[in-house]
Amino acid sequence: MTELRGAVVGFGKLGLLHAGLANGLPNSRLAAVVENSGVIQRIVQQYFPDVNVFSTVEELIEARVSDYVIVATPTGSHVSIAERLVEASIPVFIEKPLSLNAQEAQPLVAALNRNWVPNMVGYMGRYIDTFRRAAQLLRVNILGQVQMIRSSMYVEQLLKPGEGWRYDPATSGGGVLITQNSHVIDKLLWMFGDITGVSGNTSQLVSRFVEDHVHAHLEFASGAVGFIDASWSARHFRTPAISIHAQGTNGTLDVNDDEVRLFLDNSIGETSSGWTTWRKPDLYRPVPLDIGGTQYTFQMIDFLEAVTNHSDLDSNVVSGLKTQLVIDAVYESARRDGARVNVANFLP
Amino acid sequence: MSGVALPRIVLGHNAFFGVDHLSSQRGAERAAYFSDVENVMTVIASAVDAGAGGLMLSTHPRAAAICEALSIDARLVSKLELFPLLPYAQKYVTRANELGLVRVVTQTLAEASTRDKVGLGLDFLRTMYRRDPLDMVRALMRLELRMFRKLNVSTVFLHDAFSDLLIALNVPKVFSLYKSTLRKRFGTTAGIATKNLPLLVQRFQEWGMELPVVLTHVNKAGFHMNPSRKECERALTQPNLKVMAMGTLASGFLAPSEAYPYVNAFSAVKSIVVGASSSAHIRATFGSITASKT
Repeated sequence: MTELRGAVVGFGKLGLLHAGLANGLPNSRLAAVVENSGVIQRIVQQYFPDVNVFSTVEELIEARVSDYVIVATPTGSHVSIAERLVEASIPVFIEKPLSLNAQEAQPLVAALNRNWVPNMVGYMGRYIDTFRRAAQLLRVNILGQVQMIRSSMYVEQLLKPGEGWRYDPATSGGGVLITQNSHVIDKLLWMFGDITGVSGNTSQLVSRFVEDHVHAHLEFASGAVGFIDASWSARHFRTPAISIHAQGTNGTLDVNDDEVRLFLDNSIGETSSGWTTWRKPDLYRPVPLDIGGTQYTFQMIDFLEAVTNHSDLDSNVVSGLKTQLVIDAVYESARRDGARVNVANFLP
Repeated sequence: MSGVALPRIVLGHNAFFGVDHLSSQRGAERAAYFSDVENVMTVIASAVDAGAGGLMLSTHPRAAAICEALSIDARLVSKLELFPLLPYAQKYVTRANELGLVRVVTQTLAEASTRDKVGLGLDFLRTMYRRDPLDMVRALMRLELRMFRKLNVSTVFLHDAFSDLLIALNVPKVFSLYKSTLRKRFGTTAGIATKNLPLLVQRFQEWGMELPVVLTHVNKAGFHMNPSRKECERALTQPNLKVMAMGTLASGFLAPSEAYPYVNAFSAVKSIVVGASSSAHIRATFGSITASKT
């Protein structure tokens, strides 16, 4: 099998993590880095003499040294960078969230319609063992008709106004709703299907320009109803904690980063009635290389496979756009004091 | 390989700082309880009484207060070897969200006390003005290790979030610098934490470098053992490998009576890190380690 040559655009925290995987996983190596910081360019040149360093994506495309590209820049530049890569027929991995809003992502969607290449949006939470098991259970309709869904995301990240691009809506698209909570929306869509209507409110607890808390009521196409509640200013959460609870006609399902708990009124297949719990060590699957969590590795393995086979992925620009539509609808509802908003209104 | 002798039982720090790989909620509750240093000291004293010869301590913001309290207890200072684990990854990961990677380093140094800056001397000035990564690493190491200066330290571990990245990116230079800085500046041995033991062994062999003391997961459940439990077991038979085993209970998933006969069977495992949050917990766990050691 030929070794794939990977490039990373944006050599920050996640860029570095993806670079490690691109270089350390079998059948792939890090071939290029695009970074506009002179300090980082110098560090890469000094420590990775075999890696090409470029200041712009154009230079990278021109040099033809990469079989795939990972875009790990601030959100506001994802679309323009990815669009140029798609035009150049280079498979692209884009960190989440896809874009500042659904409208902004249109040129990329259009470019893929003209010239499709394997594409992925980095909602790595789908690869966390507990959420993966929960999704498998839901796929076989273990809960029957899902009626009610509660979800939350809390992390103690911001107890005073933050600095940097994440807290500037022009480059980040917004606050906690579009950053960490986009993971929750992606998981809800993946596990429970389309969301058709929302009503929500956002609040600023410590920030001046972006929301620190969001609460939104959700209506699913399946008929289920539910809510999300999220904050990045929540004390006692050392790392982001996502919880989802679903109630269906057959029982209930609770999933978080640590465990999956299923309750069934009656046995279904091999799953017995009453409570069944799967904890992280029960579900653990080793990986060829773990840097900062096995979910990143599984995600990259899937992406590399799609690059090799020129195949599609579950978490792609199309699914990333759906998440963006729900985010746009919640922001719009919050601007209108929590009025109900149709998600379809945001379809370009 | 270093001739350093490791204590058989090392008390882990996770409970003190709210790290719980099985339950985030339990982690948060423990963090609140152990925000009182007195409660931490009670557990440490019980662990020493029950036979612990070491304490693993990450450079968490709260670790400085623990070091300070330990340093005025002559009995604990003499009986306990400290194993710093640096850096406290979460601190840098969270700050990098705001500042980006380079500014995390420069700002962390800029915020150090004047005394610390003077203590860092040329390393501080080089980092701020030259921004050479090796200077940055050296200055950060010195800053992070200052809290341990009155304590007994012979091995310092590099956190797996960093070492596994360096292993993946194939950069031996940073490990060499880490090792030489520890030896020259602190007179201590370099240890490395990893979640990829076989790959670490392979890389160090390729680099022609002596194997460091390795802190890694060893448990019957295979939890965090990559690329497979079997390959980690094979790596554990490597001659000259000295391992401090962590995650031996797979985050509370295994009972001590089941867990320790497995861990004790590997001669490379010289030392075991045990997390404990109460005296009763310590007695039960430590008893199982010694009972199953042949």
